[in-house]
Amino acid sequence: MNTVPTDAIKSGSVQSGPDHSALSDPGTEPGTEPETAVGKTAETATGNAAETEQAGYLDEKIAQVRAMDFLQYRSPDLPTWCPGCGYFGIMDAFYKACRELDLAHENICAVSGIGCSGRTPIFINSYGFHTLHGRSIPVATGLKLAREDLTVFAMAGDGDALGIGGGHLPHVARKNIDITFILFDNSIYGLTKGQSSSTTPYETKTNSHPVGNPDTPLNPIKLALAYGSSFVARGYAGDPEGMKALIKAGTLHRGFSFIQILTPCVTFDKTNRTWKALKENVCSLNLHAPAPDNMESAMRAAENEPYGTGIFYQDKERPSYQDILRQKKNAK
Amino acid sequence: MKTIDKDISIVIEICGSAGEGTISAGEILSRFMSAQGFEIMSFDAYPAEIRGFGKCVAHTRVSANPIYSPGKLADVLIALNDNHAISQLSALKKGGILIYDSQPPKPHEEDQSVVARADAVTISYGVPLTMLAQKAAGNARGRNMVALGALTALFHLDRDAFTNSIKDRYGKKKQIVIDSNVNSFLEGFDWTKENIDKADTISFQGVTPPQSKAEQKGEKLIINGNQLVAKAALDADLKFYAGYPITPATKIMEILSKELPKHGGTLLQTEDEISAIGAVIGAGYGGIRAMTGTSGPGFALMTEFTGLSVMAEMPAVIIDSQRGGPSTGIPTKTEQSDFNAAMFGGTGDCPRVVLAPTDTTSCYDATVLALYLAEKYQTLVVILLDFFLSNSIRNIDTPKKPAPKMLNANIAPDAADLAGYQRYKITDSGISPRTIPGTPGGMYFATGLEHDANGRPNYTDKGHLAMTAKRFRKHASVLAEAPAPMISGTQEMVDIGVISWGSSAGAAHEAVVTAAGEGISAAAFSSMMLSPFPEKQVTAFAGRCKKILIPELNYTGQFADFVTKIIKRPVERLNFITGRPMAAEDIVEKMREMI
Repeated sequence: MNTVPTDAIKSGSVQSGPDHSALSDPGTEPGTEPETAVGKTAETATGNAAETEQAGYLDEKIAQVRAMDFLQYRSPDLPTWCPGCGYFGIMDAFYKACRELDLAHENICAVSGIGCSGRTPIFINSYGFHTLHGRSIPVATGLKLAREDLTVFAMAGDGDALGIGGGHLPHVARKNIDITFILFDNSIYGLTKGQSSSTTPYETKTNSHPVGNPDTPLNPIKLALAYGSSFVARGYAGDPEGMKALIKAGTLHRGFSFIQILTPCVTFDKTNRTWKALKENVCSLNLHAPAPDNMESAMRAAENEPYGTGIFYQDKERPSYQDILRQKKNAK
Repeated sequence: MKTIDKDISIVIEICGSAGEGTISAGEILSRFMSAQGFEIMSFDAYPAEIRGFGKCVAHTRVSANPIYSPGKLADVLIALNDNHAISQLSALKKGGILIYDSQPPKPHEEDQSVVARADAVTISYGVPLTMLAQKAAGNARGRNMVALGALTALFHLDRDAFTNSIKDRYGKKKQIVIDSNVNSFLEGFDWTKENIDKADTISFQGVTPPQSKAEQKGEKLIINGNQLVAKAALDADLKFYAGYPITPATKIMEILSKELPKHGGTLLQTEDEISAIGAVIGAGYGGIRAMTGTSGPGFALMTEFTGLSVMAEMPAVIIDSQRGGPSTGIPTKTEQSDFNAAMFGGTGDCPRVVLAPTDTTSCYDATVLALYLAEKYQTLVVILLDFFLSNSIRNIDTPKKPAPKMLNANIAPDAADLAGYQRYKITDSGISPRTIPGTPGGMYFATGLEHDANGRPNYTDKGHLAMTAKRFRKHASVLAEAPAPMISGTQEMVDIGVISWGSSAGAAHEAVVTAAGEGISAAAFSSMMLSPFPEKQVTAFAGRCKKILIPELNYTGQFADFVTKIIKRPVERLNFITGRPMAAEDIVEKMREMI
């Protein structure tokens, strides 16, 4: 199933150390892959020195990316998202997180709902289930309870998770089901072409509210905290390294991990959550020192830092749902 | 009154107010009769409210021979509460027996006592229920036991064995509770022996059921449909149950919450029925057997996920124990009005399997079959129970455990399939070999979108047609291994053929026997498998019936509409929405009209 030839270079970014040779292109010796890649392209780029220089730069970049070895987590399918969409960045971070956690492809299950984010599992080289609008959480819950050995991700957009599926979030959080939930929050319904969602700011003009959104938006971080999520974080689609770190931390967290990603909808939101606005406003959370285990400061940050990224809250001690069931069973 | 012989078959009703011990008295009576070797069928009618002034009726049919329906009218009515019992007199046979409290705590207004309202041919026995209970235990709570004592004395039942049944029922309670109940029973027994002149002919003296079940003792289960569904699910390797409380299905969840963890499974109480079926589909996707149970209102919520189960080809089993509808309807009354919702509910061309057990024992078979079919055919299976099947109690032989082939039904891809694995491969049977997550080389993407053999979204006309046809081909494969329809009565050409389903089937088969006794030539047909339906068999059956009658517990005849289309001829309908189970007597009456 590996469509991107991988090599056997163990870059410094690989955390755990199992042998990846099984995943490698058998014809490629460690360290030789950049050479062949460069060689091929160099043949086609002849004459013009500037072209050669550019080709050399691209080749170098391609070689670097390949050396990072994370594209193996991408499926052969080309994403259907609009050019410039923030979701590309999210997926980049997702692939890298999987790579660095060294997850076996067949043990990853990505469960999604409906909307632009719903297509996500198609683009992951793993097991994937594109379910119903708002229902990624129930399906992911059943899957995780059936198969604790799997690494289960649930993906949903703001309309999906907070609108139609909003009733499931409190319960997956309070039960502390051990799944990682990634909220692709672009504050708009994109696939249906630009209607207000649960996170569209008050008075924003949208196709469903041309004279301005009359609804007060939800604050997803505050909700996640109030519902009792044991891991709450926010990332930004323009910060792949930051998102990667959050997805890794969320995946390693034993219990329900809630990760909101601020991302623009480049097609249907020209005024509110644009790349420009996000770039100007997004910053690191700074209310936490030394550890984010303080609910009060997390709530304050959720209120006061709408663009703050990082981990708001994490309760590492709280047992997951399945841990609790085991405790109860053993206690009998 | 009929002569009492070895064919004894009587119906006893105990009527009281919620909280008066009506249901417990019925339960003890049933257990005692079962222990004596009789067939029993019992059910309770009670209000939705937990306690208060609602009317409760514990209905028990006792017979030396197999029972197919609960019996419409009672031979005996025990009135613990005159107000409620007055309205129950209409369910007492002409010349039936009434046992009432002759010294109620507050004297009744003239014409407000049950004995004053009973007609002249009723045989009435006044027993001072309250007074004797006071005497036995210092309070009136044991009136139900006094009444059972009176019944035991009147019908020459085994007093000591009955005492043991009471002790068994309260065995885990404090000694004082056991003593109070036993003493009340004995007071009632002694007083009746002493003071009542027997005017009826019912006697169990010397009655031995045809096949003595003494040696089978211990193998007999006294059980209702909900309990049997839970037992079957555990026997059939259920590993996950998700549910949301709703009458009359809640009990299944409560039993499994105790039992599933012991069997290595998980129970999840969800925030709503949408989440319950979603989790079941998620667990089925993960490769374990999963099920949920609900009633009409919850089934309505689950409908969006039923389409996903069929489209993404994920196993899911839903039990819908029907109650009065539509909407919140009548939570504690039985009805068969979810037929259309189960068969056709939802959007798109959506082939699913629907099973409807026809009696308590077949609740077991249906559950085992449902889990098998869902897993093998990667599809939705709905089991239609109803309030009556869920709650009525039978004593049955312990069902045989499922054969090994029923327990491991997933068709996994072989090595050849895995090379260029296609999760939704087009096949003749409609079944595409299925990997479960964690299988290297078997990764796939599942979706509720129309898709190609690889699971990738595909909206072409050819693709949609090929996939829809593939999903529908499962029906033919399922039908090939469906249990045979039950056909009773003569095999010849008959005047009336009765086609029935679900809990009404027992009454239909019994009616055919009764009608034959009256010289009406008749036969009955019922099928546990509703979708896919055995169309050939039903058409052949209809071909030898001059007239067709379809009795069911809904207003319009949902099943009759369905069958009419298949057999392409008009049918007579018999519809009730009284909230009571189908009665053989009513079917027989309709048959007499049709002749």
